[in-house]
Formats: sequence, structure tokens, C-alpha cells
Amino acid sequence: MAFVSNGDDLFDPIVMADNRFHVEGYQEGFEEGTRQGTIEGRNHGRLHGAKLSAEVSFYNGFALAWKCLLENNSDVKARKRLKAMESLIGVIKNFPYEDPQYEKLQEDMERVRAKFRQVCSLLNVSTDFREYVRGSTGMSF
Amino acid sequence: MEMKGEMELLQRVSAHPDARCWYVEWNPAGTLLASCGGDRAIRIWGKEGDSWECKCVLSDGHQRTVRKVAWSPCGKYLASASFDATTCIWKKTDDGFESLTVLEGHENEVKCVAWAPSGNLLATCSRDKSVWIWEVDEEDEYECVSVVNSHTQDVKHVAWHPTQELLASASYDNKVCIYKEEDDDWECRATLEGHESTVWSLTFDPEGRRLASCSDDRTVKIWKESTAGDGSSDESWKCICTLSGFHGRTVYDVAWCRLTGALATACGDDGVRVFREDPTADPEQPIFFLSAHVPKAHNQDVNCVAWNPKQTGLLATCSDNGEFAVWKYNSDI
Repeated sequence: MAFVSNGDDLFDPIVMADNRFHVEGYQEGFEEGTRQGTIEGRNHGRLHGAKLSAEVSFYNGFALAWKCLLENNSDVKARKRLKAMESLIGVIKNFPYEDPQYEKLQEDMERVRAKFRQVCSLLNVSTDFREYVRGSTGMSF
Repeated sequence: MEMKGEMELLQRVSAHPDARCWYVEWNPAGTLLASCGGDRAIRIWGKEGDSWECKCVLSDGHQRTVRKVAWSPCGKYLASASFDATTCIWKKTDDGFESLTVLEGHENEVKCVAWAPSGNLLATCSRDKSVWIWEVDEEDEYECVSVVNSHTQDVKHVAWHPTQELLASASYDNKVCIYKEEDDDWECRATLEGHESTVWSLTFDPEGRRLASCSDDRTVKIWKESTAGDGSSDESWKCICTLSGFHGRTVYDVAWCRLTGALATACGDDGVRVFREDPTADPEQPIFFLSAHVPKAHNQDVNCVAWNPKQTGLLATCSDNGEFAVWKYNSDI
């Protein structure tokens, strides 16, 4: 009895070597992949977070600047525009910067973008900001 | 109970040669017909004796196809929606029309424009997935009141409720959205799901109790707002009837006659159909019968169908072949 089981154990590692290496290799690969994935995911998230924040901050700055310009103007049109501007600032203020899992993120972003477009339409400002996005390269005097 | 009716062709007009005729709309008095098309022009047609003649051509308003035209409730203004991303407002003068203003803002093709019954509001929708609501003041100044991004795809059509300040939109995302004003801002209050493909057009019934939608899924659906007993602000619309098996292809347009309650459809199978409602059926579960059918109303897709608001049974249709046709629908009722 003991002799037979010894025989089994003797050949077992050799016969199963291929499978064993396969499993070990998979384990190592999986762990390495998880590490790489985490790094890549973190970069990806950082990039997207930055893009989103840059967009929202742009709208915020835009609205604050216009608010200053319109505040001292008492005619009816300016009042209407000021109201729209304050509404835009309001939507941005409620934006949850700290919570990446915020489930209504897409919906709220759409709302902010829609409000921005409406405000631009009221101010008669074109929403083509390609010049701005390209950056301040090529300044000439 | 069969409500058999018949359609008589009164006149066929080659309105937009070598281009699609996309839309036709009667003015509120029912005396003029505006048509628009792929040739970037809008034509106004009036009756002279027994035939419809071209009274006016508005050809410099747009750089691309004019997709829809809409008359203001007072009949003095005409709005045109174009693939060039603008909406033009025209004012009627003694000898024609003049361009009053151009509404810009949409990022790409404007698919529809509609005036609210009050005459103070205008809605536009576009392939950019948004619906814009504009307000017009006494000095003919137009201002954007709201931009709503409720759809996830191209918005094909917008329609106002006949009596309340309520707007509906239809989209390539298979859904219908209902909008109401809340605190100076318009927002989507309900989303109607049920169609299995693009919803092309919408129309409210004469009393504004029901909404009809037509789709690429070859059906017409009738929706009714269900009143929530607990007084909550959550509105839900239920589909109370589906007309299926009648249309061979995409249903591009549906129109509910304000005078008779008849429902007309424009189909991609070149046919025009008129449905009547069974008056004995339960209003919560309406039944519609096919009353009249013209299988080859045009020799290409029928894009639009419009009931004359003053003359019972007078119907206009237009097609990809550039022509519009005027029909007389007769029935026993």
C-alpha cells in the first residue's frame, strides 16, 4: 500500500508540472496585471477628472466674471442675464467634487452644459472656444 | 362598426423640383399652405379659383435644407428650421415675407420648430440632442429661456399641448419626453418608453388629453397621462393603444384633426392612412379603425401629413419626390 502511494507521489509532480506552472504563471500574471491596471486606471481617472473639473471651473469663472460685469447694470435685459448667470453659478456650486461615484454625475453635467449654452445665447456670446482650448501659444506683438 | 371613408385627390403640385419636400403646414386661417424642402426654399401656396398656386418663394433664408416650417398662432409669422443649424423667423408683409431674425445656438441640424398656442414661446430641437425653448416679447425680440438635454440621440420633433404650457419631444433614442416649466426653467418631467425604434413625430388630440406618436417601428401609439391619486408631482404617461399591422414601413408623421378627431398618418410605404376612433369604446382603452387608405399617395416616401384647421376633411401631404398633394377625406360621420 505505502509503496504504491509513494509511487504516485513520485510521478505526480512531474506529470502535473505543466499544469502547475500554468496555474502559477496565471497567478503571477494576474497580480502583475492588477498592479498595472491600478496604475493605468488611476491615470485615466486623473485625466478625466481633470478634464471635467477644467470644464466646470471654466463655466464658473465665466459666470463670475459676467456677474461682476452685469451687477451694476440696472436695465431689464441685464437683470434677466444676471438671473441666468446666478442660476448657472448655483448649479455649479452644488457640484460634488469629492464624490467620484456620484450617480447623477452625467445628468448634472448635462444640466450645467445646457445652462451654459442658454447663458451664452442670452449674452450673444459664441460657444466656439477653440481658441481658448488651444492655449496661449503663439502670442504675437 | 366600420367607419368607411374615402380619399379624393384634389391636386398634385411639384413644389420643390429635384429635391425632397420635407414638410407642409396650413396657416391658422386655413387659406395658405407653406412647404419647405431640400432645395433650401420655402414656398407659400394660396388658392386661386380651383387650384393652389405659388404666391411667394423664400429662397435666401437658409444655406441648407429647410426641414420644417411653423406658422405662429396669429398667422403673421412663419418659423423655419434648417439643417444649417439656424431657425429663421419671417414676418408677413403686404407683398410677401421678410426675414425678422435668425435664431442660432444649436450645434448642428435643427429638425423641428413649433409655436406654443400662446404665441409667446417657441421650441426648437436638433441633432445635437437638445431642445431649446425661446421666449418672444412685444418688441419681437427672441431670447433663449432654456436648453434641455434629456434625449441621448437626435431629437426629431417637438409639439406643444393645445391648451397647457406643456411640450413633448420625439427622438432617435426611441423615447418621448414631456417638459414643463419649473421656476423659470424648463425640465423633463416624464419619459415615455415603448417604441422599439426612432420616434419620428407627435401630435396631441384636440382636447389635449392624449398624445399620439409614430415611429420607425411601424406603429402609432396613443398615450394618456395617468393622474396619480396621491397628488405627487411625478407624472406618468401610459400607452393606452398601439396601432400595429397597418403600416408597411416607417411612419414618418401623424396628425390629429382638430375638427373631427380623425388621425392621419404619412408612411415610408408611400401610403397615407386615416384612422377614426370607435365612439363606443372605453376612453381608457380606445379603439381606432382604418377608415381610408391611399396605398400610392405619392411614388416615394410620404414625409408629412397636415389637416386643414378650418375646412373639414381637407388634408395635405408631401413626399420625397418633391411634390405635395391636397386631398378631400369624406366619411359617413
